[in-house]
Amino acid sequence: MTYNIMTCGVGGQGLMLVSNIIGLTCAEYGFNIRTAETHGLAQRSGSIYTHIRIGDNVFSPLIPYGEADVLLGMEAIESLRYIEFLKPNGVIILNDYVWQPVQSTFDRVNDSKVKYVTVQNIIEKMKEITTNIFIINALELALKAGNSLTSNVILLGALSKIKGFPILKEQLISMIPNVVPKKAIDVNLKAFEIGYEEIK
Amino acid sequence: MIDDVISEDKDKAFLFCNEAIVRGALEADVKVVAFYPGSPVSEILDTFYQISDKMDVKMEIATNEKVALEIVAGASMGGQRSLTALKSVGLNVASDTFFSLGYTGVNKGCVMVFADDPYCHSSQSEEDGRFFAEYGYFPLLEPTDPVEAKQMVKDAFEISERFHTLVLIRTTTRINHQSTIVPLTPLNRTKFIPGSFRSYNRSYATVGSRARELKAELLRKRDRLREEFENSKYNIISGDPSEIGIITSGVSYNYVLEVVRKLNINPLILKLGTTNPLPNNLVKKFLKPLKSVVIVEELSPFLENKIKALSKDVNPDIQIFGKLSGHFSESNEYNIPIVLNVIRDVFNLSSDHDYEKILHNTDELKSILPVRIPVFCPGCPHRATFWALQRAVGNKSDKIAFINDIGCYSMLLLNAKIYSKLHPDDLLLAMGATIGAASGLSLASEEKIFSIIGDSTFFHAGLPGMINVSNNNENVIVIILDNSVTAMTGQQPNPGTGYGPSGVPKHKIPIENVLKGMGFENVIINDCYDVKNSIKSFKKALEQPGATVIISRGPCALWNDRNKRTRGEKIQPFFVDNEICRKCHTCMRDFYCPAISMESMETEYMDDNGKMWKGFSSHISTELCDGCGVCSIICPYTDHENRSANDVIKPFSKKREVPHDL
Repeated sequence: MTYNIMTCGVGGQGLMLVSNIIGLTCAEYGFNIRTAETHGLAQRSGSIYTHIRIGDNVFSPLIPYGEADVLLGMEAIESLRYIEFLKPNGVIILNDYVWQPVQSTFDRVNDSKVKYVTVQNIIEKMKEITTNIFIINALELALKAGNSLTSNVILLGALSKIKGFPILKEQLISMIPNVVPKKAIDVNLKAFEIGYEEIK
Repeated sequence: MIDDVISEDKDKAFLFCNEAIVRGALEADVKVVAFYPGSPVSEILDTFYQISDKMDVKMEIATNEKVALEIVAGASMGGQRSLTALKSVGLNVASDTFFSLGYTGVNKGCVMVFADDPYCHSSQSEEDGRFFAEYGYFPLLEPTDPVEAKQMVKDAFEISERFHTLVLIRTTTRINHQSTIVPLTPLNRTKFIPGSFRSYNRSYATVGSRARELKAELLRKRDRLREEFENSKYNIISGDPSEIGIITSGVSYNYVLEVVRKLNINPLILKLGTTNPLPNNLVKKFLKPLKSVVIVEELSPFLENKIKALSKDVNPDIQIFGKLSGHFSESNEYNIPIVLNVIRDVFNLSSDHDYEKILHNTDELKSILPVRIPVFCPGCPHRATFWALQRAVGNKSDKIAFINDIGCYSMLLLNAKIYSKLHPDDLLLAMGATIGAASGLSLASEEKIFSIIGDSTFFHAGLPGMINVSNNNENVIVIILDNSVTAMTGQQPNPGTGYGPSGVPKHKIPIENVLKGMGFENVIINDCYDVKNSIKSFKKALEQPGATVIISRGPCALWNDRNKRTRGEKIQPFFVDNEICRKCHTCMRDFYCPAISMESMETEYMDDNGKMWKGFSSHISTELCDGCGVCSIICPYTDHENRSANDVIKPFSKKREVPHDL
């Protein structure tokens, strides 16, 4: 069985940490994994994604269109941008957050009729592919955990509760101390638990 | 993870391909490495940067790829195993030395990893560097994934020493930028012991009659390599006997493996790992019993043309499906859908994979999405420079030409619409090309020419062009964007930074000293964050004839913010006082900072004269703001020199922002 996760967001939101934790866990507990990542433009504020593929017969680093089991979105616009990878009725874990691109602000300044896209606009479109959408206010929950920078781990915690996700929650948790700074271990573990509890 | 790259006890690890390449070189006991950064291989440099001192590897970040190749060639001749890595267009820069190096050969294992970039993720042209290997008579290995990449790097050192040749390893962006679980073998690092060039008693000189002798030797070397590659473990035949076969290499092999499973077929597949010199006999043997063959390779029909020629000898009636038949494209990246569609057609199968339908449906859903083009980071010195330049140009927009170069500032081209006054789409060729092109344009046309170049690119390939400008006193304005590091590829240090790998101090070369040595008389140094002063300098340069050089100086914001955090300094964000904001939109209209957006709710403000200001105020994201403060200089209702509560844009902290050293 192959399990595909498409993660997307904006540069600087910590997507690499998510795929690193999953990758290290796979290495430790004997899963085969292959990921494809966006690097290159060092700039923040660009559109980024990671293809994460777990399973014995995974060869391509890229998920074929329509085959991602889960789409994990740190930012709403960029989540809809990669929707072609999600399978029909696949799961979307969506951060309740839009990071408006500079180009949209430019358009609004020049045309008062232009409006920013909202999370609601985006969810409406997503519903045409799936109804399994979990909206999570990751920033609010990250602050509850104790650090605004743990939004990514909130979503990882949520991912670990999705039915069919092949890695055990405890396995992921055991690798978190290897990837986050020492003084941030506790807050990240807390964020993971809070995220986990969000999926009912 | 970096710890795994140097792990002594693990037998496997989750590694990024560029890390796996470093691990392979370390397992092969590499002693000298040199690089100029370039995506998608920058992280090979970055990984060595972090571990070179621990692993006793001598490392240099060279001024450009040609120098890097020369360093590793010289090190090999001096008795040390050496490695460089560069991107496709970097090999263009290194090519002069590269071809001669084929003739002279090397001594100790010498390996060059080069990466092509199908789809131009981060390059100005989509090149197929495999031709370099053939043209230069070099052995070429092509991995399909990080596991094979690591093993090939290791083996390449052995091949290099047995054949006294530089060995090439060719990757593509999708190979470099993937991670998987990679088996590790012990490092067994040995102590660095200096070689003895004299005692090796070998010549590495080529010209004229000596070159003719070396060429004959090189051709014999190629034949011996071909023989060796006939039995290479990197060429794999799999599948059941079938009438239709598939030949593939690189990342395409992975797509083929999944596609045949999806289609429930198990045809003969030849995966080629040694693509120059091609194992002709192996290919012929594979072709002989087939009725037709599908060739799956990204970019040029490099394998296809050779296979077509070889088939004439053994199977002239074979039908070849590839690029020449119109089944595959010579541009962009491949993926499972692209490969599946062709193989399904050629094998005359049906399946319910309808990728076109998925794309059609989702394209419709995505019609509401705004574009998100990479832009300068919050606090980026370039944003300040180009805002001032747009102001200085003003209504003279049709009297200037704008010649850009390679670096973060190349992004102006992607945002040509919002920087339209500067014409960022005028001209952009290659590293350092801005200077020569500006000279030519100034000879031929009447516009005032702006030539833009970054500090790293200036050192890399700008120097010859600059000497030419000074020598001829060309009528151009060169703007050197000096942000202290090679920012685009990950803020690596360059000759103007003052330190090298592992933070070791280096002799810092100030650009103004270089310019002085070149004989430039009009050199202006600006603090780029002092935008009002910058406008004056640019205006002055527009007025005066002859060559003017303006160094617009300010540290890369990503690099500077990271340094601040390391030193424990707080970043002091600014905010917009919505109570008194006049909603004039100046800070949003032409500054384009990702930290500034427009409020969703309308607000009102009545000033002391009873005038009502109504509209959408701007908003600065506290998380994103880097505190550069330029938006507060631009704001017409802020007095940035005498900050007070009456200012619309102000820092959260009262502490005056500290200007950096010029």
